[in-house]
Amino acid sequence: MTLVFGTEAWAAALVAEINASSEYRNAAAKWGDGFNGNVLLVFDADTTFPKTHALLVLLAKGACRGASFVPGVAHPGAGFGLRAPFSVWKDVLSRKMLAATAILTGKMKVDGDRMTLLKHTAAHRALVACVAALDTEFLSP
Amino acid sequence: MDKPSAPLAQSLEGTVRTPAHFTPDQLENYGRIFQWTPRFVVYPGSQRDIVTLVALCRKNKWSLSTRGAAHSQSQLAINQDGVLLEMQAMNRIGEVDEDKLTVDVEPGVVWRDLVHHLAPRNLVPPVLTNNLGVTVGGTLSMAGIGVASFRYGSQGDNVVELDVVTGDGSVVTCSPETNDDLFWGAIAGLGSFCVITRARLQLRRMKPMTRTYYLLYDDLRVFLEDARSAMDSGRWDHLESWGAPCAQGTRPVAGMRQVFAKWFYPFHLTVEYDAGNPPDDAALLAGLRPYDNLYTDDCPTLEFLERMVPIFDLWKKAGTWEFMHPWIECILPWETAADCIEQVLGDTPPGIQVGGHVLLWPAKGTTSRSKNFMVPPGENLVGFGLLPAIPQKFWGEMSERLENVSRMMLMFGGKRYLSGWVNFTPDEWKEHFGARWDELCALKRRYDPDAILNPGFLPFEAKP
Repeated sequence: MTLVFGTEAWAAALVAEINASSEYRNAAAKWGDGFNGNVLLVFDADTTFPKTHALLVLLAKGACRGASFVPGVAHPGAGFGLRAPFSVWKDVLSRKMLAATAILTGKMKVDGDRMTLLKHTAAHRALVACVAALDTEFLSP
Repeated sequence: MDKPSAPLAQSLEGTVRTPAHFTPDQLENYGRIFQWTPRFVVYPGSQRDIVTLVALCRKNKWSLSTRGAAHSQSQLAINQDGVLLEMQAMNRIGEVDEDKLTVDVEPGVVWRDLVHHLAPRNLVPPVLTNNLGVTVGGTLSMAGIGVASFRYGSQGDNVVELDVVTGDGSVVTCSPETNDDLFWGAIAGLGSFCVITRARLQLRRMKPMTRTYYLLYDDLRVFLEDARSAMDSGRWDHLESWGAPCAQGTRPVAGMRQVFAKWFYPFHLTVEYDAGNPPDDAALLAGLRPYDNLYTDDCPTLEFLERMVPIFDLWKKAGTWEFMHPWIECILPWETAADCIEQVLGDTPPGIQVGGHVLLWPAKGTTSRSKNFMVPPGENLVGFGLLPAIPQKFWGEMSERLENVSRMMLMFGGKRYLSGWVNFTPDEWKEHFGARWDELCALKRRYDPDAILNPGFLPFEAKP
C-alpha cells in the first residue's frame, strides 16, 4: 500500500517495518545498549521537495519503540541525527547511492558521536533499508 | 612513428619501442583499472640513458614514467603520451660486501633474483615483500613492507645509499647522511622526484631453516593482543596473519541477500634456526591463546621466503590474475583497529578469497624512519588489507563499496598504503601526508621543475 511521506500512517508503517526486519534485529542488537540510540532523520527541503521534515525514531537493542514526525531539525530526545537534502535521501532510498557513501562523503550529515555510528554501520544501513522498503509517495504540501 | 624515435634509439644504449610494438600489459598495471598509452617504451641500458631521456622529455614536454614489475594498482607504472621506462632492463646485481653486509643493485633487479643470489652466503635483505616478483626500485619507491617489518621497518629503511637521476637531469648520490632530502624523497616517494639507478641495500645474516607455527584464532581481539605480545617478545623473526572467512549462508544486507561469513584469524609465527638446533616449541608459544594450533612446519628459509608462490600460481591458473585488483590496504591505529576490522569484514563476502585475500599484519610505528611512508601515531599499529580480484564486469557495482572501505579506514584513523587502488581527492592527499605535503611540493619544484616524472597519481600542480 502506498503511504504518503510525512504522515503518522507512514511513521507507523516504518515502526512495523523495522520490527519485522530480521536484518535490523540482528544488525542493531547492540545499538542503543548503554547509550541513547534514538535517531532523528532530517529531510531538508530542496528543489525536489519543498518542506523540511524531521522524523524521530526510537531505537534500542534491535527494536523500534515508535516513530513520529517532529517540528524543527533538532530534538532533545535524539541521541543521533542523520541529515541530508531530500535529493540525497531519494538517491539513497532508491539505491542510486549507498547510505554509507552518503555518510562517509559528508553528503549526509551526522549529529552525535561519529565513532559510535561507525561501529554500527550495519545497524544504520538496515534502518535505511527499512525506510527504503516502504512504498512511499512524496506529495508536495 | 614519431620523428624523434630514430635519433632517440641511436642516442641510447638501450632499446626503444613504438606503439605498434607495445605489449598489451604495458598499457596497464596489476590493478587493471587504468589503460594508458605512452608514446615510447624504453628499455634503458644505463644511467646515462636515463639522463638522456630526462633531457629529451624536458625538451619535448613529455612525461617520463618508471615501471618495475607494475604491481601498483593506481596511476603508477603506466604512462599517457610520454615515455614509459621499463626499469627491469636495468637488472644487474653488483658487489656484495660481506663485512659491511651490503649489496649494490640496479633498480630493475627482482627481489627473488637477489634472494637466490645471496642465499649461498646465508645473506638476505632484512625485509622482503610477500610477492618476491617485484623490483627493488618499485618497492623502495613505495616503502616495501613484509612479514619482518615489525622488526626492521620498510625495505626503504634498509637502504644505505642511492644513485638517482633527478627530474632536472642531475646525477646525485644520496643517503640518510648526504643529500638526505633527496634520499628521503626517493624512498616511498612514488618516483616523484628522481629515478633510482643504483641502490646499496643493507643485508642481514639468515639461518638456513625456519619453523612456522600455524595458529588459528576465532576472536579478533584475542588475536590482536597475542600479535602485540608476539611482536614485543623478541622471539620471532617473521609474523604473518590473515582474515579467513567461513561462509555461513545468506542474510539480507540493505534488504538484499548476500553470502556472509564468520571470520577466523590465522596467525603464522616463524623463527629461523640452524639445522640440528631446533627451537623450543613450548617456550616460543608460551602465553599465546589460539583457538587451535593447526600445524608446525619446518622448511629451508629460502623456501619460506617463497611461500606465496603456490598461491600466486593458483591465481594465475584460475585466471584471476587477469582480473581487476583494486586492493585497499591501510595501517590502522592500535586503538581503533579491532572496531574498523570488524565493521569492514562484517560486510565482506567470503568470495574475496577467490583470487584474493584479507591481510592483517601487526606492526610497530617505531621501526620506520621513512618520511613519505605515512602511518598513524603510536607504538603499535595494525596493517589491514582487502585484496580482491574482481571480474571487470563487476567493477561498476564494487568500486563504490571499495571506496567506502577506504573512507571508513580513514575515519578510523588509518593511513592508506599507496601501492593499492587509491582514489583520493586533492584534499584527501593533503590529509594523508599532513605537514609532509608542503615539503613534497617543495621537493617537486626543486628536483623535477618541469613535473615530468610519474604524473597522474600525486596531485602536484602541473607546470603552467
